[in-house]
Amino acid sequence: MNRFLIVSMMAVLGALQAPAQNPVQNPAQNPSQMTVAFSNPSQPRKLVVKTMMHRVSIKGYDGKDVIVESSAISDRRRRERNVPPGMHPLNVGGGGIEVAEASNVVTVSAEKMFGGGDIQIQVPVDTSVTVNTVNNGIGVENISGEIDVESVNGGVSITNSSGSVMAHSMNGKVTVALDKVAAGKAMSFSSMNGTIDVTLPADIKANLKMKVDNGDVYTDFDVKVTNDTFDTKESNTGNGVRIRGNRTTYGTINGGGPEMQFTTFNGRILIHKK
Amino acid sequence: MAEVSAGKVARLAVLFERYHRALFRYFVSMNGDREQAEDLVQEVFFRMLRYRTSYDPAQSFTAWMYQIARNAGVDQVRKRGSAQVVDIDTFVDRRAELVSTSPGPEESASRGQDLALLRRAMDQLPEDKREILVLSRFQGMKHEDIAEVLGCEVGTVKVRVYRAIRALEQIYFALEKEKAS
Amino acid sequence: MLGGGEGKDFAEHLASCESCRNEVSRIGTLWQSLDLLPLEEPGGRVRERFYEMLGAYRQGVASAEPRHAFHWWQMAAAAGLVAAGLGIGYAVRGNMQPPAEVSQLREEVANMRQLVALSLMQQQSASDRLRGVSWAYRAEPSDREVLGALVSAVNHDANVNVRLAAVDALRRFSASPETGRAALQSLSKQTTPMVQVALIDLLVDLKDPEAAPELRRLSGNETANEGVRQRAQWALERLQ
Repeated sequence: MNRFLIVSMMAVLGALQAPAQNPVQNPAQNPSQMTVAFSNPSQPRKLVVKTMMHRVSIKGYDGKDVIVESSAISDRRRRERNVPPGMHPLNVGGGGIEVAEASNVVTVSAEKMFGGGDIQIQVPVDTSVTVNTVNNGIGVENISGEIDVESVNGGVSITNSSGSVMAHSMNGKVTVALDKVAAGKAMSFSSMNGTIDVTLPADIKANLKMKVDNGDVYTDFDVKVTNDTFDTKESNTGNGVRIRGNRTTYGTINGGGPEMQFTTFNGRILIHKK
Repeated sequence: MAEVSAGKVARLAVLFERYHRALFRYFVSMNGDREQAEDLVQEVFFRMLRYRTSYDPAQSFTAWMYQIARNAGVDQVRKRGSAQVVDIDTFVDRRAELVSTSPGPEESASRGQDLALLRRAMDQLPEDKREILVLSRFQGMKHEDIAEVLGCEVGTVKVRVYRAIRALEQIYFALEKEKAS
Repeated sequence: MLGGGEGKDFAEHLASCESCRNEVSRIGTLWQSLDLLPLEEPGGRVRERFYEMLGAYRQGVASAEPRHAFHWWQMAAAAGLVAAGLGIGYAVRGNMQPPAEVSQLREEVANMRQLVALSLMQQQSASDRLRGVSWAYRAEPSDREVLGALVSAVNHDANVNVRLAAVDALRRFSASPETGRAALQSLSKQTTPMVQVALIDLLVDLKDPEAAPELRRLSGNETANEGVRQRAQWALERLQ
C-alpha cells in the first residue's frame, strides 16, 4: 500500500483524530524529517519497515509519534519543490521512501534497487517493531515492544532493549543486548554466515536450544545441559526410520523458562551474562 | 471449581496456582520423570477444563482432581507402552539430584533418618503402596477423599496406608543393612 | 492415623507387646521422616504453558478441517475477567468473529497440545507463532492437523525463525510419509538458504530416496547459495 499524502504542519493541526494518519513534514525545521502520528496512541502500536538498500536505525524515545529522518526525504522534497510547470517528477535515482499509517501501524518502505543511505526512525519505546532489509543492516535501541528484524546482507544490532526478539541475518552478525526480558516470550536468533552474540540479564530463566554447524557455542552462564532425548528416543516409528539427534544442544538457565533458539551455520554463538 | 464449572474459566488459574505443585509432586513420586510429570500436570488442568461440567460441587475437589490425575497417568502409560518401564537404577538416578540437596547421611545419623536411603526406599515400593503413601502423607488427603479416588472403602484406606508404611520400613532397613555391609 | 476407638485398643495392645512397641516406634520415626524429604519443584515452564493452554482454550480453536479453517469464539463475559494480569499470552486477541455459544468447543479438538499449537501458530506475533511451533513439537506424531499447520508455516510464514523452527518440528512427524513429500516440495520452493539447509538435513534424516533428483538439481544450480549447494552435495552422498 503506497499512499502518500502531504498535509499541513502538525503544529497547526494538533492531535490528529482521523482513522488513517498522513505523514506531516516540517520543511522549515528539518527538510529530511517526517513525522506521523498513530491513529490511536493509547492502543498497541506497530512499526513496519522494509528497505532494499537503506540502513535502518530505530530508537525508542519519549514521544507519541513516529519521526522518520533520511536524506532521501530531503531529496524528494527538493525534487518536488522544483517542478517545472506542467510536469511531474519521475522518481528515478535515490530515495523513494514511502511512509504511511493505517490502523495504528506505521509503514516505512524504501524498495528501490539503487541509492541508499540511512533511515533513522524514532518511535515510542513500547512500539512493536518489524524490520526487513536486504543490503544493509538494522539497529534497534531502547525498545520494549516486540522486535522482529531480518536482514540479508547486513548485520543486526539490538541494544538496551527489553521486549521479545526474533532476529535473523543471512550474512551479517547478530548482536543483541537485553536489559530485561518480557516474561513468557519466546525468542529466536539465527544467522547463516555470521556470529550470534547475545547478552541476557543474569537472572533470566530460559530454555536454550542451540544449533551450530561450523562453529561452537560459548557462554558464561551456568547452563544446565539437558540434551533432549526427544530426537534419539523415538526409534520405533513404524517404517523403521530412526531419527538420530541433530547437532542441537538443549539446556536451561536458572531452572528453565521460555524457549530461546540460537541457530547458525558458519558462525559461533556467544551467550553473555549481563 | 464450582465457578469454573459455571463458566468462569479464568478461575482455573486460581486453582492452578494453588494445586499445580502438589500435582507435580504426585506425578514425580509415581514415575520419577520430571518432564513427564510436567506434561501430566498440563494434561490434568486441560481435562479439568474440558470436563468441568462434570464436576459436582458436593464432591471433594481434591478427590475429583486426583481421579483425573490417575486417569491421565494411566493413559500416559497406555500410550507410551513399554517405553514406560524404566529400570530401578535409572529411576533412582533421575531423582538423585533432589537427594543431593537434602542433609547428608552424616548429618542425619539417627535411625530412620537417612533421607537419601528413605528416598530410595520410597522409589522401590510397589506402585500402589507408593501411591497411597503419597496421597496420604504428602498430599495430605483425608482418608475419605483417598477412598473416593481409589474407589475403595474408607476402612481399607487405613489398612493400606499401614501396610504401605510397613513395606517401606522393611525396604528401608534392608537398604540400611546393605549400605552398612 | 488410627481413629478413636481403634486407637484405644491399639494403645492397650502396645502396653503389653514390646516388639510391637518397637515396631510402632520405628514406623513412627519413618513416618515423621517422610516429612523431611525435600519437595520437588516443577520447572519454570509449567506456569507459562498453563497460561498458554488457558488462552488457547478460551479462543476455542476447533479444527475439523486441516490447516486454515479455524473457528474462533470469544467468551465475552470472561473477557472482563482477563484483565487483571492473570498471565501472558492469555489476553483475548483482537481479530475475532462475533461470540458464539460459550459451550461450543468442538469435541474434535483431540488434545491439549494440538489446541495450543494450532491456536498459537495463528497469532499475529511472530514470537507467539514460534511458541506455537514449540508446542507442535510435543504433539502426537499422528496428529495431521498439527502436521498440516507446520507444513504451512514452513512454506508461508513471513518470519524466517518461525520457518526454521517449523522445519525442526517436522522431525516429530517423521513416521508420516507426508512429511518427506512436504519437505521435498518445500525445498523446491524455498529461497532462504538457512531454511533450505534445514530442509536438506531433514531429508537426510528421513532417508528419503525421492529427494535425490531435487538435491542434484540444487547442487548444480549456479544461482543457489554456496552453502546450500555444498549441503545438497553432502546429502546426495549420504543418501546413496
